[in-house]
Amino acid sequence: MSAHRDTDPRIHGIQSKIRVVPNFPKPGIMFQDITTLLLDPKAFKDTVDLFVERYKGKDISVVAGIEARGFIFGPPIALEIGAKFVPLRKPKKLPGKVISEEYVLEYGRDCLEMHVGAVEPGERALVVDDLIATGGTLCAAMKLLERVGADVVECACVIELPDLKGRERLNGKPLYVLVESH
Amino acid sequence: MRRVLIFSSPNPITPQLSTPPTPPVNAVFPIRNCRWIGPSTSFQPPVLRLHNYQRTPTPLLCSATDSVTNQTKMASQDEQDPRISKISSVIRVIPNFPKPGILFQDITTLLLDTKAFRDTIDLFVERYREKDISVVAGIEARGFIFGPPIALAIGAKFVPLRKPNKLPGEVISEEYSLEYGTDKIEMHVGAMQAGERALIIDDLVATGGTLCAAIRLLERVGVHVVECACVIELPELKGRERLGDTPLFVLVSSA
Repeated sequence: MSAHRDTDPRIHGIQSKIRVVPNFPKPGIMFQDITTLLLDPKAFKDTVDLFVERYKGKDISVVAGIEARGFIFGPPIALEIGAKFVPLRKPKKLPGKVISEEYVLEYGRDCLEMHVGAVEPGERALVVDDLIATGGTLCAAMKLLERVGADVVECACVIELPDLKGRERLNGKPLYVLVESH
Repeated sequence: MRRVLIFSSPNPITPQLSTPPTPPVNAVFPIRNCRWIGPSTSFQPPVLRLHNYQRTPTPLLCSATDSVTNQTKMASQDEQDPRISKISSVIRVIPNFPKPGILFQDITTLLLDTKAFRDTIDLFVERYREKDISVVAGIEARGFIFGPPIALAIGAKFVPLRKPNKLPGEVISEEYSLEYGTDKIEMHVGAMQAGERALIIDDLVATGGTLCAAIRLLERVGVHVVECACVIELPELKGRERLGDTPLFVLVSSA
């Protein structure tokens, strides 16, 4: 079910609103800035609509969003499809009892956390973030959900950087993106 | 976002707020900075408050400016909206987080209740739609959860206000005080234009320091902050007073 909607007429508008900022956060990186997309109410709405159209009526009860830009796209999708929203956060932000999943960065490690009890076994879940690069963070997110017995139906991102091969890192889980950036 | 709730038993006031310096004699409006807020003797907060446990109707007070409140006619203004008590009941209170003595208001449990989350957004949307608001600014990170659905529903743009070094483009920054030290919030240059009407959204207002900094940031680029909107207020921390002329609207007051 992996696909990207490059034939939908709304896609072009969305893609054109994403700003590329060179050399951020460090030299050589072309940063995909979605804040300019959020400044265009129609393009932002189209972005959410494209995900909602795909996931509505598919019995998805959980949308998990990765801090912090996943918090921008996840809740509108969750609200429209009638799912709960679960924030996946950096360490020590969530106040209650958490489970943690560590993952590897280019230099060092990081950790993603989820509240215990937020997701029940057997629930069907989406993982949402603004962008997938190497797939490390999405992978950690999926593991968190699977550890509590949820079924990750798909990962959904606005942007994919296909050269970084994140799609392959998802252990066969489907990935749906709106825009590819080479 | 990091939230500092200064809550040591009977004195829930930060050292900086507990003894404000004497306001200058000729002060008319409160000066909004992080260290001082001078009360004006005729100041009335032009805000509609929906308490989760009090049924005393709060009269609508209008400011001299074009506040949304004097144009709003909702059923909820005369009695507590029935959706409020449910919203309040699904907010989880976690003691001793992030440190001993603090009762943390956890909205993640609200997000697990699809109807209550929907109602939360609806209450804000009902208040702000068709009020010519073109910008919803959300404070990182929990403001990112509530801000975008409101922005989408009222046709406004969403502008994230972030911790330092997160936004990739050219930014303007505003520093503000914490209990110990300072922090900064940032906004992209060009995200808003002078003359736009804006809301600022966060999950909770405590001392008002962060909201205050956000208001200053927007006003520096000539934006009119129509109102600040939060799910929860901790009234004992007096954040409302700290916002000066800017109205504050909350759904739940947690004393």
